Order: sequence, then structure tokens, then C-alpha cells
Amino acid sequence: MTSTPDDPIIQTFGLSKRYRKTTAVDEISFRVETGQVFGFLGPNGAGKTTTIGLLLGIIMPTGGRFELFGGSSAADLHAARQRIGATLETPNFYPYLSGRDNLRIVANVKRRDSAEIERVLDLVGLGRRAKQKFKAYSLGMKQRLALAATMLGDPELVILDEPANGLDPEGMREIREIIRGLGERGKTIFLSSHLLSEVERTCTHVAIIQNGKIVRQDSVTDVTAHGVAGLRAPDLEALATAVAQYPAARWARQRGDRVVAELEDGDMAALNEWLGRRGIHVFHLALEARSLEDVFMEATGATRMDEPADGSSSPSGPAEHRLGEVP
Amino acid sequence: MIGAAFRSEMRKAWKRPATWVTLGLFGLITFADLFDEFREARKDSEDPFFLPEAWSQILGEEVVIGFIFTSVLVILLVAAEFSWRTARQNVIDGLSKSQWYSAKVLLLPLLTALFLGLRVFVGGSVALAGTDLSNGATLFGTAQISALGGMLLTGVGYASLALFAAVAIRSSGPAMAVWFAWFAFGEGLLVGGLGSLFEGLRPILRWAPIMTFNRLRDYVQYDPDALRRAAEWAAQHDRPVPALEALGPAIAGSVLWIAALTLAGWLWFHRRDL
Repeated sequence: MTSTPDDPIIQTFGLSKRYRKTTAVDEISFRVETGQVFGFLGPNGAGKTTTIGLLLGIIMPTGGRFELFGGSSAADLHAARQRIGATLETPNFYPYLSGRDNLRIVANVKRRDSAEIERVLDLVGLGRRAKQKFKAYSLGMKQRLALAATMLGDPELVILDEPANGLDPEGMREIREIIRGLGERGKTIFLSSHLLSEVERTCTHVAIIQNGKIVRQDSVTDVTAHGVAGLRAPDLEALATAVAQYPAARWARQRGDRVVAELEDGDMAALNEWLGRRGIHVFHLALEARSLEDVFMEATGATRMDEPADGSSSPSGPAEHRLGEVP
Repeated sequence: MIGAAFRSEMRKAWKRPATWVTLGLFGLITFADLFDEFREARKDSEDPFFLPEAWSQILGEEVVIGFIFTSVLVILLVAAEFSWRTARQNVIDGLSKSQWYSAKVLLLPLLTALFLGLRVFVGGSVALAGTDLSNGATLFGTAQISALGGMLLTGVGYASLALFAAVAIRSSGPAMAVWFAWFAFGEGLLVGGLGSLFEGLRPILRWAPIMTFNRLRDYVQYDPDALRRAAEWAAQHDRPVPALEALGPAIAGSVLWIAALTLAGWLWFHRRDL
């Protein structure tokens, strides 16, 4: 059975996982279609890994149901998992085996030949280090091996859980390129990450999960379509404080040398006038593209998420101002 | 698919240093034990160490050491899959939980046979050195095959207890500690305690797992010549004549315990998240 665009490859219906006193995943429903690069975004502990574990059959749901490739029975799900390549959390391999031998174990399960092992090793740049034992690999190499294992068998759906964890900027870029390449080859990718910039650069669609609930889901283009106001003034701190108190501001925060804010009414002239009345004179006021981080802020009202130190944004992060908060 | 999973198990076990360390250590201990028997036999003509008589020593009480090593290796091979999270990854890669578990169960007779075979090989080689091959005696016959069959079942019983401990506890050290505690004194304490509290339970308690498996461990049950020699020796030394267990119930009991332990391990494994 092959999938065509718009066919849901993953579909969940009120899927839940409750432990004794904790609800890790709380009645989530989402849909991933053929060919999408689907970003599953959320802070650490939001329920991303548990959700993937449920889909992969290593965690039992306590409520709801899900379909993979349109099937939901135990037999359907087992058959569907043959069409999936996935890694969960850290790369999990036998430490005493070489990279190549580890892939042989995976290939044996997936019924793939040794030629394919060499192909995926070359694809992730581990061809020359394939004889080395897994325990001697650096974290970056372990991530690459996990990616190689994922690609064995040419899966239709690739599920990656935090694939850029622990990688340096160059490693992140390479992983991003590999993921992008998979997407261009028509693979459906489900990418879980807490790195907003990674998801924004890589994904076509996104769902944001927080405290086990999906708080927003759409295409990346749609969620970032509405602009935000970007302002500059001589006293940036005073500007940020004032904008945060502006009644029509959903949220406001300092980003680099300016303050960005989302306005309920989108009326920047009114904001400018309101600031002027408070003695704050802006010398720059413009409509700016909204980042995924802005969307995340809006959807969750959360504090800033961890960002990679790859130059995409400041790791320390600018000051944040949310509605009702005075920095 | 179970075949593929079992091939993976073989590859993992073959490449795992723990396999060779346990086999090597067991081989050394076995050699030291049986070579000592051989040396003693040369001093004492009453207790010969040549084939086929030496099988009663080669497949005697010390065979249990092999079962302990087998169980330790089973725990090392299985429990580590949880700490390395490879059990989870195997399932993600396409094995079902039942295929994963079945491959582990298939390892039990293989590993037991490996350790038992090593003892037979080492013991047989040492005993062969003192054997007069010109008298045409049968060196390895049906008695030894039956004994090996019974002991294989005993070993698989020990190993199935180890498999249960490994999947229930999911950590090598604690699983080994629990297994060994049960083997060394846990079962004895439980049976003794319950037996003294409830006398009526004693006939049932005699069928506790290790006790049941051990019913198949006495070599003289399988070899009439060895039984005759043991009886003669007992008469000469004013000792009780060896009491024989009925093999049928012992085999049935062992098979039932192996089935119960592997099923319990499966249920435990199946119901828990990975």
C-alpha cells in the first residue's frame, strides 16, 4: 500500500498517557500527511517523547487511539512500523559492537542487505569510522549512526526525536541537510525538537505541545503569516516595559536591539501615539515577520525556550516581557 | 521474523566479551576440577577416572556450576538490553515484543548446551587421557545421552529463572543478586518456613522450582552401571543406598516450571512500557 498526498500517515484521536499522578500526554489529536516535514515542538518534559513512544508501540496508551498508515489494529500497527524508521531520545545501540555491526543488527530486523548498510553509512559520513566500537563514538557520531539506522530500509515515515541534541553548529547543519534531503525525496518526517529555530528551518508543518496538550498546529507558513511590530527607541528597557503594558499587546519582548510585540488590532499607529503620550519616542516602527518562537510564545505564554548557540539566536536570550509583567 | 531475531541474538552473544569471559572462566574452573579428579584417581584405584566410568564425575554434582554460569550470562545478555535501551530500539526497528522475547527464550537451551558441552568436552578430554581404548568399551552411550537430556532440561530451568529475573528487574547486578539469593537460600528458606508453618503443604513445596529442576540432576538415575557402583560403594562404606527420583514427574514438573517462568517473564515484559 502506498500513500498519496493528503493521506494521513499519522492520525491521533484523543491519545492519552497517564502515569499514577502525572498526565504525560493529555487527549491529543493531530494529523500528519504524506510528504510533510512535521515539527513536533515543545519544551523539555512537554510530552513529545511519550507521544512518539506511543506511536512506536513501546509505551501503552491509557486513553484514545491512533492510526498509522490508516490502520489501527495491533496487526496493522505492527505492519505499519515496518515502514517507519525512528529513533527515540538518545541513540540506542550496543556499545561493544562497531557502528557497522550495530547496523547489521538493524538490517537483519528490517531484512536489508549489507550494500544498504554501506550506503547509509556513507550518507551520514561514517563510512571510515564504521569499524570503530559504538562506545568510542562522539555524541555527534552516535547521532549520525542513529540517523543511518533510521534510513535503513528506505522508510516512508521517518520519526526523529531531538536529532540535533548535543551537536555542534556544524553537526546541526549537517543533520538539517540530511533531514531536508529526506523531505525533498518525498519522505514524511516527524521531527520532535525543543529547538525552535531548527524546526522553523526544517519543517513544513508544526504542532506545539505543552503540558501534554497540543496548543497549536498548522503549517509553518500559516502560523508565521501574521506579522509582529518591531520597535526601536533610545531607551530600549523603557520601551519594552511600556509596550508590555499596552492594552492591545498580546505579548512583547526585547529581541536584540529592538522590541517586538504582537498587537491584537495590528494598529501600529495607535501604539506609536500611545507611546508618544508616555514620553517614549520611537525612531523605528515596522511590521516584521513573526518567528516560530513568537508563535510559541503566543501559544503557550511560555518563557523562552533553549536555543542553540549556532548563531541563529542569542543563547542567553533577550529580556522577555509578557502581558502583565514588568521587567 | 523470529529466525532473524534469533540470528541477531547469536551475533550479539558471539561479539559480547561477557560471553567469552564466562565461557573461559567456566572452562578453567571445569578443567581445574576435573584435572584434580584425574590426579586423585591415579593415586586411588578405587575411584577411577577413565571413560565411561568417569561420566559419573563429569556429569556429577559440579554440573551445577555450568548452570550458574549459564544463568549469569543470560542475565548479562538480557538485562543489558534495558539499560542500553536496545530492547526499545529493537521494537522500534520492527520486531514485535513477542518476537524479541521469543528470541531470548531460544537462547536458553543454546547457552545451556554450550556450557554443558564445554564440561563434556573438557571432562571427556581429561578422562580420555587415562582411558584404555583397546578394550573396546562403549565410551559414550545411551546412558550419557539420557543424562545430558535431563541436565539440559535442568539447566534450561535455571536459565528460565534467570530470564524472568532479567526482564522483571531490568538491571544486571540486582537481577543476578536476586537470582543467586533465590538459588542459594531464598527457596530453601521459603520452603522451610512455609513447611514448618503448614505441614500439609510440604508435599507441594517439594516442587519449588530449583528443587524440581534438581530432581533431574543425579547422574545415577540415567546410568545403571553408575547406580550399581554407587550402591556397592554405599554398602561398603555403610552409607544409605542412593534413592532414585521418578523421572517422569520430574521431567513434567521441570517443563511446567520452565513454561510458567517464561510465560510470567513474557507477561511482565509485555505489560510494561519499554
